[in-house]
Amino acid sequence: MEQATAPDLALEREIAGHIVTALNFDIAPEDIVPEAPLYGDALGIDSIDILEIALVMSKQYGVQMKADSEDNSTIFASLRALASYIREHRSK
Amino acid sequence: MSLIPLLPDADRHAAFTFRQGKAIDRETFHAHVMALAAALPEGQRVTNLCTDRYWFAVALFAAIARGMLTVLPNSAAPEHIAMVAAEQSGLLVLGDQAACPVEGLPYFRVDVLPQPAPPAATEMPLISFDQRIACMYTSGSTGTPMPHYKTFGRLRLAVLAGAERVWAAAGAPCSVVGTVPIRHMYGLESSVLLPILGGGRMSPQIPFFPADIAASLAEMPAPRLLVITPFHLRKLLEADIALPEIAVILSATAPLSAELAAQARQQLGCPVLEIYGSTETGQVATRETERESHWQTLQGITLEQRDDEFWAVGEVYETPQVLNDTLELFSPQRFRLVDRKANMINVAGKRSSLSFLNATLTGLPGVVDGVFCVPERSGNGEVERLAAFVVAPGLDRARILAGLRQHIDSVFLPRHVVFVETLPRDGNGKILARTLQDLIVQHLPKRD
Repeated sequence: MEQATAPDLALEREIAGHIVTALNFDIAPEDIVPEAPLYGDALGIDSIDILEIALVMSKQYGVQMKADSEDNSTIFASLRALASYIREHRSK
Repeated sequence: MSLIPLLPDADRHAAFTFRQGKAIDRETFHAHVMALAAALPEGQRVTNLCTDRYWFAVALFAAIARGMLTVLPNSAAPEHIAMVAAEQSGLLVLGDQAACPVEGLPYFRVDVLPQPAPPAATEMPLISFDQRIACMYTSGSTGTPMPHYKTFGRLRLAVLAGAERVWAAAGAPCSVVGTVPIRHMYGLESSVLLPILGGGRMSPQIPFFPADIAASLAEMPAPRLLVITPFHLRKLLEADIALPEIAVILSATAPLSAELAAQARQQLGCPVLEIYGSTETGQVATRETERESHWQTLQGITLEQRDDEFWAVGEVYETPQVLNDTLELFSPQRFRLVDRKANMINVAGKRSSLSFLNATLTGLPGVVDGVFCVPERSGNGEVERLAAFVVAPGLDRARILAGLRQHIDSVFLPRHVVFVETLPRDGNGKILARTLQDLIVQHLPKRD
């Protein structure tokens, strides 16, 4: 995903905290590398976890994820991509 | 040999599915099936990788009409598809994607045929009761997925028995919206075959996010049936968004707690029917989890105990099927699950099977014998942790864990490794469930 503006590091850190809490990860929020893929080996996030993250995003930021609105593999490509999507679409 | 019409006798102009607000009637579905059946190249086996449930159904029934076996892989992982293709020679991929979703196999696109003329009602193929129509693969990371063949007549009987139960709970045949994979037994039976053979309506969507589920439900007329898993249901309820009226919710693939069923009724005003079944057996029994702890088998299926094993018997099976679970039978049709999913286990959403874990453990250098167990199971799908009994003179706990870590996901590593001199196997080389239970009581600390 192209970054039109500089990444919002505070929002990234905040979302990382939500992810670690929601998925009960045994790591610190700052251990999630913003550019690294959320899917895959590093974190082992699967589609079930994505649903969990989507729920937290809707509660925290009022963003209802929809499969047909954007390409979810893009939104969930990395913490940075997710944060950028949330910043654009948040309603709270 | 008995012959059965490919599609049931139904009102030709009854709405069958809806796409972008437009109804597609049964006659059009029939026409699409016949047109695709006529267009398919020669061959014996296809795999159906359609992403849209309507085109999946068209391709499935076209293959049945042509006498072709539809092979349904349980995952889209390239290595699994490659294994399936190696096992099922001459496999043709049917799909609704612009390009073949897997590499190295011939592809036929099913959703771009010219709009067919309505078929004559007489143009209904008759299918043999015994025709093998689908090959399913057991789910779970067993290492070696096993094929299971389904015949048209038997699968149809099981689906009609399920329809009887589900439509009775809903009060009428429903519009079916499913969030579950269509290539797995539960999704195939409940979200594809149920509306087609049982006279309901079928949503083409496979919604994932709560907002998608709401939109898919809204697209279909009431009464509505939602086919879902317990995890997805919990997330849907937690999202707390407005949903169209739902008549009944079906749940399967993991235990549903009475608490979640009660919450669904409270929030959505409808009962949750839980299905008990497996890839091998298909749907076997149902219960209304909020108020029933006992299961009732579907019409035509009875259960038998043979030694320590429980078997499902009936016309819906070519041969009786052994269950992975320990039951308490009150009658051949009524039972309680004592040890649910004794073989399949679920840790933090990751699935494996005890047989795979046991094979991995006993395959480690220096391990003479070994068995995994689940010391205790929590009620509502919280994290389960495993333990293992091991016969391995000369190895220690760290070596066992290091060996296992190379082959299995770390969530499956045993929290407790108990070294024993021998394992009490019976004459068949099996460790009976109650023997294992004795070992657990004897060796593992009790948590309260």
